[in-house]
Amino acid sequence: MRYLISSFCLLFIACGSYSKKRNFQIQTTSNKIIHNPYFSNEKKDYVYKANIAVYDKLFSGIFIVKKLGEANHRIVFTTEMGNKIFDFSFLNDTFKVNFIIEDINKAILINILKKDFKALVQEKIPIIKSYSSQDTLVYETALDNKKHFYFKTQQLNKIIRVKNGKEKVTFLFLEINDIIANQIKISHSNIKLKINLKSIN
Amino acid sequence: MRNIIYILFFMSVALHAQTKMSTAESATLKAKVKAQAFTINTLLSDFTQYKHLDFLSNDIITSGKLSFKSPNMVKWEYVTPFKYAVLFKNETLFINDEGKKSNIDIGSNKMFKQLNTLIINSVKGDMFDENEFDITCFKNGANSEVYFSPKDKKFSKYIKAFQIIFNKDGDVVELKMIEPSEDYTKIVFSNRTVNMNLSDAIFNQ
Repeated sequence: MRYLISSFCLLFIACGSYSKKRNFQIQTTSNKIIHNPYFSNEKKDYVYKANIAVYDKLFSGIFIVKKLGEANHRIVFTTEMGNKIFDFSFLNDTFKVNFIIEDINKAILINILKKDFKALVQEKIPIIKSYSSQDTLVYETALDNKKHFYFKTQQLNKIIRVKNGKEKVTFLFLEINDIIANQIKISHSNIKLKINLKSIN
Repeated sequence: MRNIIYILFFMSVALHAQTKMSTAESATLKAKVKAQAFTINTLLSDFTQYKHLDFLSNDIITSGKLSFKSPNMVKWEYVTPFKYAVLFKNETLFINDEGKKSNIDIGSNKMFKQLNTLIINSVKGDMFDENEFDITCFKNGANSEVYFSPKDKKFSKYIKAFQIIFNKDGDVVELKMIEPSEDYTKIVFSNRTVNMNLSDAIFNQ
């Protein structure tokens, strides 16, 4: 019985919330929504040189995002020579694969990319709780029913997807110029997947 | 009313700009291009690539240099807006991505082999293989426009047609790869030099 209690205690500590582990201080805020502005301009074609590392394989190409309307984004990845690798649409809560090459047409991979890209393009996310950590404001959200923390100093610098109190995916927005992130880094901690994007236009 | 007449007039001019070649004209063009391709030992050219996606406001423009040495070495070297080179040599694809080097063995990959042959043939203009493509030739002023539609079903899922524009001498001036969705990649060649001495060092990755 004693073992059972201590096991529960350990489990409880292990599953302690991400915000507590990180020592975030609860903050009261009137903000109900956090904005991700990096793919919000309908007039702009967002074009990035992309490097993707999956396990030991390296891929590169051109990563293109276009906002086509309210909550409506198109995401296309091509090789440098222009051959399309995939072409996805996000419209409100729907996701559509317009095209994908046969070699990578795997549900598990599409699902990972869908979740990652949703976090990139979702502009307005309802805030569940607000915290502060030194000079950073941290907002807890439930993007796609998954816990995401949004980190904002002057601008939105980072998004972290968390599961069972652990960081699963980190999105870093770097070299920010107004509402353009000239560099974006996505890294997964449970699988060997890294996506680096560098703006080329 | 007058505007409508003008519009109709210009539309008919536009429609007439491109006329289908007769069988004899197509055969002449094919013979000219084949003869021309046969004489190419080396080729050096600048290129500008336009990636057209219908939903974008502007085409994505990249540019660089193309080097070819007979029989089967081709290097596409992008210079702006990023440095990236892809070299097809001895059934291997060598990639240099801003200094990061990698290679892919294409010997066992039928699709890549086809792509390699196609790239070499399209650079030379010699794609007139009726077993592989449905071929349609058009005249457009002094230029000729030829559409090569892949017969292979697997291939045609990716490329609906290659369109090659030849100048009056039978040189390739433009290559367009049209996808089933009508999005396309257009490559325009300029400063083309043929049969100059090209060192093998250019083809070392």
